[in-house]
Amino acid sequence: MFATMIRPLFKNKKFIVGISIFLFFLMLGILGPVLYRVSPTKMTWDYEQPPSAKYPLGTDTYGRDVLAQLLHGIRSSLYIGFLAAIISLSIGTVVGSLAAVKRGIVDDTLMAITNIVLTTPSILIAILIASYLRIRSMEVVAVILGLFQWPWFARAIRAQLMSVMSREYVYLSIMAGYSDMRLVIEDLLPTIATYAFMSFVLFINGGIMGEAGLSLIGLGPTRGISLGLMLQWAVLMEAVRRGLWWWFVPPGVAIVALTASLMVISTTMDEVFNPRLREE
Amino acid sequence: MNEVLMRIENAKAYYKLEKVSVRAVDGVSFEIFEDEVIGVVGESGCGKTTLSNLISMNILKPLTLVEGKVFMKIDGKFEEISSMSREEVKKKLWGKEITIVPQSAMNALMPTIRMAKYVEHLAQSHELNGKELLQKAEKRFEEVGLNPLWLKRYPFELSGGMRQRAVIAIATILNPKLLIADEPTSALDVVNQKVFLKVLMQLKRMGVVRSIIFITHDIATVRQIADRIIVMYAGKIVEISTMEKILQRPLHPYTKGLFNSVLTPEPEVRRRGISVIPGTPPNLINPPSGCRFHPRCPHVMEVCKEREPELREVEEGSKVACFLYSEERT
Amino acid sequence: MSRLVVENLTKIFTLGFFSRKRIEAVKNVSFEVKEGEIVSLVGESGSGKTTTAKMILRLIPPTSGRIIFEGKDIWKDLKDHESIKDFRRKVHAVFQDPFASYNPFYPVERTLWQAINLLEKKPSNKKEALELIKESLVRVGIDPKDVLGKYPHQISGGQKQRIMIARCWILRPFLIVADEPTSMIDASSRGGIIQLLEELRKEQGTSIIFITHDLGLAYYVSDNIFVMKDGEIVERGHPDKVVLEPTHEYSKVLVESIPKLYRKLEGL
Repeated sequence: MFATMIRPLFKNKKFIVGISIFLFFLMLGILGPVLYRVSPTKMTWDYEQPPSAKYPLGTDTYGRDVLAQLLHGIRSSLYIGFLAAIISLSIGTVVGSLAAVKRGIVDDTLMAITNIVLTTPSILIAILIASYLRIRSMEVVAVILGLFQWPWFARAIRAQLMSVMSREYVYLSIMAGYSDMRLVIEDLLPTIATYAFMSFVLFINGGIMGEAGLSLIGLGPTRGISLGLMLQWAVLMEAVRRGLWWWFVPPGVAIVALTASLMVISTTMDEVFNPRLREE
Repeated sequence: MNEVLMRIENAKAYYKLEKVSVRAVDGVSFEIFEDEVIGVVGESGCGKTTLSNLISMNILKPLTLVEGKVFMKIDGKFEEISSMSREEVKKKLWGKEITIVPQSAMNALMPTIRMAKYVEHLAQSHELNGKELLQKAEKRFEEVGLNPLWLKRYPFELSGGMRQRAVIAIATILNPKLLIADEPTSALDVVNQKVFLKVLMQLKRMGVVRSIIFITHDIATVRQIADRIIVMYAGKIVEISTMEKILQRPLHPYTKGLFNSVLTPEPEVRRRGISVIPGTPPNLINPPSGCRFHPRCPHVMEVCKEREPELREVEEGSKVACFLYSEERT
Repeated sequence: MSRLVVENLTKIFTLGFFSRKRIEAVKNVSFEVKEGEIVSLVGESGSGKTTTAKMILRLIPPTSGRIIFEGKDIWKDLKDHESIKDFRRKVHAVFQDPFASYNPFYPVERTLWQAINLLEKKPSNKKEALELIKESLVRVGIDPKDVLGKYPHQISGGQKQRIMIARCWILRPFLIVADEPTSMIDASSRGGIIQLLEELRKEQGTSIIFITHDLGLAYYVSDNIFVMKDGEIVERGHPDKVVLEPTHEYSKVLVESIPKLYRKLEGL
């Protein structure tokens, strides 16, 4: 069944383009730093050098290798994105399914909290929390971002589960003596799985964008290097005005390409993963 | 016999899709007389809704009239309405000559528009005096048992049964000759169904509408009001007959099966039992050869598989498309 | 012998957290189903008939009252997993919507495998089980190769409903709750479903509860009819009594307004 679900995806040209771009950057992030063994933070006297044989993408004001920064930056941005997505997905799934299964007062309370988080301007709260913390690791940034992405997902999961649980096939599985666990795994999860996966993709996207946003205003991770931090340095040193294109173009392109590929993946999945629209 | 109001000649209306055509109405000919109620029955997917679109000339892509003509008597002479442009149809036919009452009033009326607004629209599109028309609408509302003041209300403020009556009142303001009702009662409970049928017959008695086509899957309902009945199967007419005749002696094997599967709370039904037609209706992209009912027919003969039976008169007022009633049977 | 006894069954739904709203879906409903008997609960939507069915099927708990099946209160006396499983084996259902009865992620025979796994005496190997599945399909008039391996959207509504009955045929339950089993399928397939259910009764003495809005269907199939209105049973008895001499105002209007085939309604 799983294979028959996945196959139509790979017949979709848009999906193939999206997943190829994403996998390319994923590989860059995973293998790049291993293969290109140059420290992204080591300062040298070769500052603000345009691309050359020695520095394929040039250097920044402190003489740091831009290619090394880019490869490590992609790695960290993806790491933050994934981590934030896992956090959002977990909170959303737990809140949504608890509300749907328990109903009554649990549902009312959880949905009230969800609505509050949903309606607060999340980026402002994230800025507040981030500026309150003196030292911010990648993980802390991911948690801050993850804490504000889940509400709409929780609501969607709740709605989907509630509609699925009143379908006759769920009753028939219950009447076949299924345990709650088996019911969840066989009947409930598949219905929300595709939706959850699509949301996961969007959450990664949100994480990458969020990190870039926070970093750009100086509230990103205080250690390490990320695509957002690269941009922040470039902005601080007025790289744009001074025409140091090799410094700000690569991280910019990487962010745009990554987020665009994720958007394409999730929208094409939306098109393909509708059991009703699927033929034969 | 009354005079002919509308004549449909060998009409074929297909849904032309990218690769295939769905032959929803495939070679249908019949007449609608003045002053009659004609029922069209059949199961879902037999083409009866397409037939209603065809009669009302509501033909929108992908539905295409492939072949055949539709004539209607307008101001005493026959005009070929199937050759009219959509603009002409809207101006000359809809509302004035032909009107439709659809299955769900909720689909027909926008919930955010007061019902009086529809009357205004009607006046505008037919270049009539809005005020006069509104007065007419108020009178018509009273006639169908609704408070005329309710014209000022939004559709969602009325119950389902009242809404359906509001639709019929608005649809008949211009005294159209032909009223097409497509499953108008299937969304209503039995009490409101009865009220609706009553209103329908009252409008006909008052001469507001001349003839009614009642399209439904519910034979017991159409039986209450229809003079004649058309039975459709897989895009074709298999039998046309008067209501009384078809009840006493249905001719086509499909008609028999269909009528004998109707369950109503009557002792006759308990005595008669329920019949089963084996199999399922064919799809209309690749219908079976010959008679389209032959794979399910209990009386199937060789000729049924090869040739299509013609719809021909076998008794006075009864037409049937079946080789059991023709000389070709071997 | 009584197979199922329903005593003073009541279900109240409460909605909302801050402004509590009480909805009495089922009020003080009592009836009895004998062995091999077909009864019908007739009512419009909102009359509480489906809620009653769900309580009998042990899908939602009643607010008060008792449902006694084979001498045991199904909500109080069935405690351990085994006795509940035994109840599931003996009481089964066919639902209204053939499309919603199948999980679109699995092939249609999943529903039959579920039945096989529920059996007390399971077939000894997979091959025998498959034979049993095929036999059940043939029994309900379906060629196994037309449906095995297919997904729900690839087969017709009538076929889906027949497979549901094949599931009942494998289980051979004592009681089947049929919730509008024919209302969403075509007229020509309807008779077949009803006949199959009647055959189950004849062969195995299965009791059947029809949940329906269609008094015509109820009149045709049942030994006993219970007419429900706003959560209460307002009229009960033999079909002839209910249809030909109704006593309650509601059932009078109902019987009067239903269009008949062999006579015309009055006052049209």
